Amino acid sequence: MRTTIRGTLFGGLALMAGDLLFKEGLPLFGKNTKAGPTVWQLDPAKCIQCGRCAINCVKTPSAVKCTHAYSMCGYCKLCSGYFKPGTKTLETGAENKLCPVSAIKRTFVEDPFYEYIIDETLCIGCGKCVKGCGAFGNGSLQLQVRHHLCDNCNDCSIARNCPAEAFSRVPLTDPYLLKGFGKEKI
Amino acid sequence: MKKPVIIILAIFLLMALLAWMLRDLFMVNPALQKNPYDYGMKEVRKADSMPAYSEIAPIKPLLKEITSIACGKDGKIFLAGKGGVEIFDPSGRVLKMFSIPGYATCMALMPGGNLAIGMEDHLEVWTPSGTIISAWEAVDTASVITSVVATQSSVFAADAGKKIVYRYDHQGKLEAKIGEKDPVRKVPGFIIPSPFFDVGISPSGDLWIANTGRYRLEKYSMDGAFLSCWGEASMALEGFAGCCNPTHFAFLEDGSFVTSEKGIERVKVYSPAGKFVALVAGPDAFDEGTRGLDLAAGPNGRILVVDPSRNLVRIFLPKEKR
Repeated sequence: MRTTIRGTLFGGLALMAGDLLFKEGLPLFGKNTKAGPTVWQLDPAKCIQCGRCAINCVKTPSAVKCTHAYSMCGYCKLCSGYFKPGTKTLETGAENKLCPVSAIKRTFVEDPFYEYIIDETLCIGCGKCVKGCGAFGNGSLQLQVRHHLCDNCNDCSIARNCPAEAFSRVPLTDPYLLKGFGKEKI
Repeated sequence: MKKPVIIILAIFLLMALLAWMLRDLFMVNPALQKNPYDYGMKEVRKADSMPAYSEIAPIKPLLKEITSIACGKDGKIFLAGKGGVEIFDPSGRVLKMFSIPGYATCMALMPGGNLAIGMEDHLEVWTPSGTIISAWEAVDTASVITSVVATQSSVFAADAGKKIVYRYDHQGKLEAKIGEKDPVRKVPGFIIPSPFFDVGISPSGDLWIANTGRYRLEKYSMDGAFLSCWGEASMALEGFAGCCNPTHFAFLEDGSFVTSEKGIERVKVYSPAGKFVALVAGPDAFDEGTRGLDLAAGPNGRILVVDPSRNLVRIFLPKEKR
């Protein structure tokens, strides 16, 4: 009787372990599927810039960052992803900046063009600039999970809380979902 | 404290904790949680001035996707869009509808009564009865014709793809390219970050072009020499906001400009000198994200606005005239 119970227990445990290995994959190498390992990514087409990426990530600051699809950028003088709405003069004082952590650097290129570069060490992934760029501009600022920062948790805390269900697993070989005029190198 | 009291208190606390957990799990809608990084779009979309125009009943076209509008001196309204052209009398009654093979991106009335229609990369001339007269060759495969206007001798077409305004004769012969970037002649070129690039002829016969990346309207000679401009980048009512505005403009009978914008959707009137005069319709009159508010000015100060989001022609009248 005792042998039977022990056998049943071990058998059950072995089945569970096998199920985890083959279905869930090894977290260290991304989630393994028949198509290969996968990583978390957010779809900018679904993203509603709710601010949860900044709050819900287990990393501080979040592994979600604002990325810039330069081929879509208008290099605008009045960038609505950079300036606060209602800014009277287009000066780069803190009072005019939309980004709460001043993570966007504005550089003059030539009249009337300005380049906008994201400082990822500062960016918290709040999506405020993404909202402004998408509403008034071409939508070249987009949130993306940066894989060198992401722990690729099995149960992503941001994905669980995302109201737009914008998070999904994508192949490790094609880990970014930037929308725009083609794949950007970020 | 007595033991039964402690037990009752502990049970009460446990029940409260359980209730809070259940509420948090099943009753709190995550979509309704407040965003601490909210952009404040509601504040931005609030017009800080009352419109000087009031809206009357719109025209509901039969076309499923309208893009452009033109208005004749007799008040007839011409609409073009995906796969067709629709003509209305001034009261909004359908007079004629015909099919066109393709997608009309813009349209203008020619002096003889024909219609010059931008078909994505080239222009076509149609009679109002629906017969094609000619299809002009596209200048470039990357061309996107977003606006067209005709005078007695020329047809001007704005190409947002190449950022150039073309001047044709009435037979479709390309006569000049206006605004082509040329460092030798110190022509800076138009800044067109999005596919909205409008061209118009004022009642006094001047050629005006919307240089949207510079947030201004520019006046050119018929040969393409830059003459003057007005407009400034600002989110305030008097300016043009976003990456590139105004997306469209038209002229009232007295030479005043009517402009429309994307981003903060609004239609405004400026004096012939470019001074802000009145708000026609603020962002609250349009769906958020509406783009492509093509304009036409009708008799008696009537302003016609293509609303692609609702697929309607919205009509605004000055309050005092109404």
